[in-house]
Amino acid sequence: MKKYLFIFKTEFINSLQYVKSFIVGSLSLILIIYIYLNLWNFLYSDPESLINGYSYTQMIWYILFTETLWSCIKGRKIVRDISTDVKNGNIAYQMNKPYNYINYILSKTFADFTFKLLILLPAAIVLGHILIGNIPNFNLLGCLLAIITGILGTMVNVLICISIGLLSFFMEDAAPIYWIYSKVILVIGTLFPIEFMPEIIQPVLKYSPIFAMNYGPAKLFVDFNYDFLIKVLISQVIYLIVFYIITNLVYKKGVKNINVNGG
Amino acid sequence: MSVIEVKNLSKTFKSKVKGKGLKGSIKSIFKPKYKTIKAVNKVSFNVEKGEMVAFIGPNGAGKSTTIKMLTGILYPDNGDIKILGLDPRKNRKKLAYEIGTVFGQKEQLWTHLTPYDNFKFFGAIYDMKDYEIEKKIEELKALFELDEFINTPVKSLSLGQRIRCEIACSLINDPKILFLDEPTIGLDPVVKENIRSFIKRMNKECHTTVFLTSHDVGDIEKLCKRVIIINNGTVVLDDTMENLKYHYLNKKIIDAKMKEKINLDDEKGIKILKDKGYNLKIEVDLKEKNISDAIKLLDPDKIIDINISNTPLEEIISDIYKKDK
Repeated sequence: MKKYLFIFKTEFINSLQYVKSFIVGSLSLILIIYIYLNLWNFLYSDPESLINGYSYTQMIWYILFTETLWSCIKGRKIVRDISTDVKNGNIAYQMNKPYNYINYILSKTFADFTFKLLILLPAAIVLGHILIGNIPNFNLLGCLLAIITGILGTMVNVLICISIGLLSFFMEDAAPIYWIYSKVILVIGTLFPIEFMPEIIQPVLKYSPIFAMNYGPAKLFVDFNYDFLIKVLISQVIYLIVFYIITNLVYKKGVKNINVNGG
Repeated sequence: MSVIEVKNLSKTFKSKVKGKGLKGSIKSIFKPKYKTIKAVNKVSFNVEKGEMVAFIGPNGAGKSTTIKMLTGILYPDNGDIKILGLDPRKNRKKLAYEIGTVFGQKEQLWTHLTPYDNFKFFGAIYDMKDYEIEKKIEELKALFELDEFINTPVKSLSLGQRIRCEIACSLINDPKILFLDEPTIGLDPVVKENIRSFIKRMNKECHTTVFLTSHDVGDIEKLCKRVIIINNGTVVLDDTMENLKYHYLNKKIIDAKMKEKINLDDEKGIKILKDKGYNLKIEVDLKEKNISDAIKLLDPDKIIDINISNTPLEEIISDIYKKDK
């Protein structure tokens, strides 16, 4: 465990080198939120009304929360980096180091995520207060617990991204799979809560990884209650275990097929 | 005591064969064809503790594939490997604690970090305690003379300094065997010489076994006492450097500057390599003709300057490669 903490620490130090460029790059979050603010403002003709159980303020805070988490993790980069490692054989050179590759990527990714979250989350909370006011039914402990579930949900997302990247062992290009995955996640759970989806698929979605990844934590953030927290945590633990096993299996199968010649 | 034992090691690769043009591309989607390439074929050798062995061969000979199997990166199809008594297939992680690797074309250091931070990082990866890491860093700093730039980010170092750090870093865990794959690639002659002296010193002071692949004859000649030549996936020569030179250095090259033109043709034991009128370069096969007879052929009275040298090791190795074809 100590070595993974060290990897985390080292990558965190690395991320600090890019603090200025990250802040500049994150300004787009303001633009995105401003667009959604206006869009939902139009849809909520009466700000006091509820759409699918969400008030206008809840809806904006929901998107602010999911978009912040989304901006802190670059799934496309995770997939692309692993694919590149697999294709150019670099992954082979990581194999003769005494660490687990999956844990190595997880530690590195989480260091970067932590660095970005420490900047973006306070900024997003300030932005939300300026644009729409307080978080509905604000409860400090509830908010903190929702953020923790957000982190766990991101971990599920990262494990899925790593699995997609590792598919490069078996196929030419894993990018189209990630493209489909990212668009599904963006629409379901990130921009729109599950309640906005057709009723027929809602029960399925509530048992899907989307519940653990973005919908559950974001709903907790805008409407915290302990019963729901337990449900989210249970689904997160299950999906973390399932995807950790899947990712390791894909990796183990992949490295047996590794084909690095030349040099 | 053998630290590397390799017996009948074989590895084949399957590669897709595609037909010509659009038709061939479409056909290969529905009916892909593959060809099998035998990269390594029944390779066997042993390496003793503390030895410095050169493992050489032309491009595509199978040396990198072999080194990757020895370090657990690739799985062999057949054969047995024992590195320090461990099978790399089954004990890759355990073995990783016992060996060090430097692949000249691949960076392992984090470029934004200083060498010091990199050493700390890799020390932690190898589960070393803080005081052990610090002690080792002090040793490596002295051995590789890193004092001047140990706190400079790796990205700001010259290539030679970086390679020095790469090798030093691969020694952080006190490996019993160091695998060096083209460690001096891309370096200028002075830096190469420098790196070689560090490797030599490391072998002498730490008794680390060195398994080296290189295309640079200088690396091989100056570092290794034993050479294994691999070509087309099989070992074609496994001998000491001394024997290699003794058996293959039976030719001499004579470079002569003449007062006047002389007419000389190829004959038994004599091969004209260059004839530019007043400048002659001939190869003498000492099994066929002795050197004094060869000089007599040139007419000693007409010689202004003469230089007699051995065949360069590079040519000897190249001849061995060609013979094997």
